[in-house]
Amino acid sequence: MSTPVLETENLVKVYGRGPAQFHALKGLTFEIHRGESVAIVGKSGSGKSTLMHLLALLDEPTSGVVALDGRPVSKLKPKTVSALRNETFGFVFQQFFLNPNQTVLENVTLPLKIAGVSKSERDKRGMDALEQLKMADKAKNKATDLSGGQKQRVCIARALINNPEVLFADEPTGNLDSATSETVEDILLNLQRDHGITLVVVTHDEDLASKCQRRLIMQDGEIVDEQVGVKDSASHKAPVTAGHSGPATRRRRRILPFGKGAAR
Amino acid sequence: MKSLDVTKSALSNTLRSKLRTALTVIAIVIGAFTLTLTSGLGAGINQTVDRIFGGFGEDDAIYVVPQVEADAQEQDGPAEYDPDAGAEVDSGFGTGMLSAEDVETIEGLDHVVGVDTEVAAQIEYVEAPEGGQYQAQFDFALNDVLAEFAAGGAPDRSAMEITIPEDWLEIYGTDNPDEVLGETLIVAAPNAVGQTSDVEVEVVGVTQGTLAGVGFTPIPSVALAEEVADINAEGFEGQMPEAYIMASAEIENLEQNEEAVKEALADEGLWGLTVEDQIAMFEAVIDAITWILSGFALIALLAASFGIVNTLLMSVQERTREIGLMKALGMSRAKVFSLFSMEAVMIGIMGSVVGIGLGLATGFVTDGFLTAEDGPLGGFAELSLFGLDPLAIGGIFLLIILIAFLAGTLPAARAAKKDPIEALRYE
Ligand SMILES: Nc1ncnc2c1ncn2[C@@H]1O[C@H](COP(=O)(O)OP(=O)(O)OP(=O)(O)O)[C@@H](O)[C@H]1O
Ligand SMILES: [Mg+2]
Repeated sequence: MSTPVLETENLVKVYGRGPAQFHALKGLTFEIHRGESVAIVGKSGSGKSTLMHLLALLDEPTSGVVALDGRPVSKLKPKTVSALRNETFGFVFQQFFLNPNQTVLENVTLPLKIAGVSKSERDKRGMDALEQLKMADKAKNKATDLSGGQKQRVCIARALINNPEVLFADEPTGNLDSATSETVEDILLNLQRDHGITLVVVTHDEDLASKCQRRLIMQDGEIVDEQVGVKDSASHKAPVTAGHSGPATRRRRRILPFGKGAAR
Repeated sequence: MKSLDVTKSALSNTLRSKLRTALTVIAIVIGAFTLTLTSGLGAGINQTVDRIFGGFGEDDAIYVVPQVEADAQEQDGPAEYDPDAGAEVDSGFGTGMLSAEDVETIEGLDHVVGVDTEVAAQIEYVEAPEGGQYQAQFDFALNDVLAEFAAGGAPDRSAMEITIPEDWLEIYGTDNPDEVLGETLIVAAPNAVGQTSDVEVEVVGVTQGTLAGVGFTPIPSVALAEEVADINAEGFEGQMPEAYIMASAEIENLEQNEEAVKEALADEGLWGLTVEDQIAMFEAVIDAITWILSGFALIALLAASFGIVNTLLMSVQERTREIGLMKALGMSRAKVFSLFSMEAVMIGIMGSVVGIGLGLATGFVTDGFLTAEDGPLGGFAELSLFGLDPLAIGGIFLLIILIAFLAGTLPAARAAKKDPIEALRYE
């Protein structure tokens, strides 16, 4: 496999202080390789979003290391981290976070505006991205005028606009019906396959998870299982939840010393 | 994010909740408007003063009056009578008049080329050649240099000449000031026992009243004033001490010798003032009044700045998610800060442009109305109550923007500090 684009070592996140403190992540160590598609799955409250925020440099761990291209990010200046988020990462948030008073095009080109790209260049690339997601005809509409699936596609267009190396998506199909989910899943996986983008998805959606090359199964702030290989979603309906013994056909590997360094 | 984009975004953000922005802007407008009016008022009056006195740059005279007793106001109760001290007091001192010795002293000072004196001249009435007697009082003869002329010019100091104010034209039955030049006026002066003697003089100028109060009454020549004073003294029993209201000392090379002469005068208990000194005194008063009025305007601006703080804090709160998104997408703290402080600056710009514009319009329109020929203050020559001082306007503009920026720093710092994750969680 290629070099890991993201690595973590003994990652711990504790929310709150004193008696109210809560260990959301209990010492995670794993790698995500360049060009890979990884699904983070698990029950609600198991710490998936928390983990994604740490990987995406949106938040800092209580202890442990996140490394990007082999370099620990805690050593980076806030400005560099901002620039990394702007240029290297793309985000699809669970809630859409579209600015209701701006047009679709303005929403999509926001990362470029932050990067300091000129208006004409922004609009050109914005239209290209919308084209790719078959949303070009809605470019001039207000973001509020769109359907849920259209909004989700606008969010993906926004995440892609800066040609990111890593695309993070938190529940990208959470609000969508199954047909629209399918479309969005295909878009994301095509991007990973055709453009070599590293894809990290947090999802409850078993269908989406099964299409990823690797699944990290979380429970109570720990990775309890890891599954490798794309599964044939049509032949398998079991829920992708952690801890329970899955069907015997699943290849299971415990590679991580989880729990050992956890700050309990 | 480019500065241009920051500015554009800030502008569109301020226009998002129009009513709230408008209300905040109005508070700034009130401050800017008041500040523009007060500074314009000061500028207008000072420009008038400069214009009126400006023509006398070549005037090389120092006007001399007796020095006011320095500690007059600080005295506690009446001073004790001292028979010896009294003998030393010369005739002019304390009466507010210059004595003959004073004038001699002035003539004897270094750099003094010549001295003209102003005598107190009393007149009973003046009479037009076609008859009709009019009550009258002379202006100072030495004020001739300060007069504004509608026609003709200042009287020759050594000839029997006079100027009349514009509103006296009617005694010659004309509206045209040029027509009265060369006409005769008869001045009737009383003597000490109540008889009057006539002096015939030639009208050589028609004056307009100025802000300095010169030109509202006839200005005699120095010779005429002395002639009238001589008549006044006729029949006076005993020796009438010679006394002068003021003296005008002509100085060689005024610019270089001004200080030396003034010091020498002060040593003699006399007070010397150039025309420029008088302008400066006048302008100092105007400036003081302007500053006091501007102080009130600044208080209004201070109140308005809290409006900006309030508006922007609300805006930051409302847009927490948007801020979180921008930060998550890689906007730096500094840019978030500049985006919000730019909004404050935008409010400042809107308020100051509207306020200064309204202030200038109001100032010039009101000035035009008040000082028009037939307006309430039309009688003063060249009076303008409102002036454009580009430096002051620029200063007001920058001051308001600075105040707005400072007011914006608190909300902007709040916005910049927001944690993207917390902000995105915010409902
Ligand atoms: N800011 C916070 N303060 C305190 N506790 C928090 C905070 N953020 C998250 N938690 C807690 O951390 C745990 C993990 O939260 P996280 O959002 O990562 O869950 P999740 O796996 O994404 O769940 P879901 O699938 O419902 O989105 C939860 O129990 C949550 O209550
Ligand atoms: Mg979550």
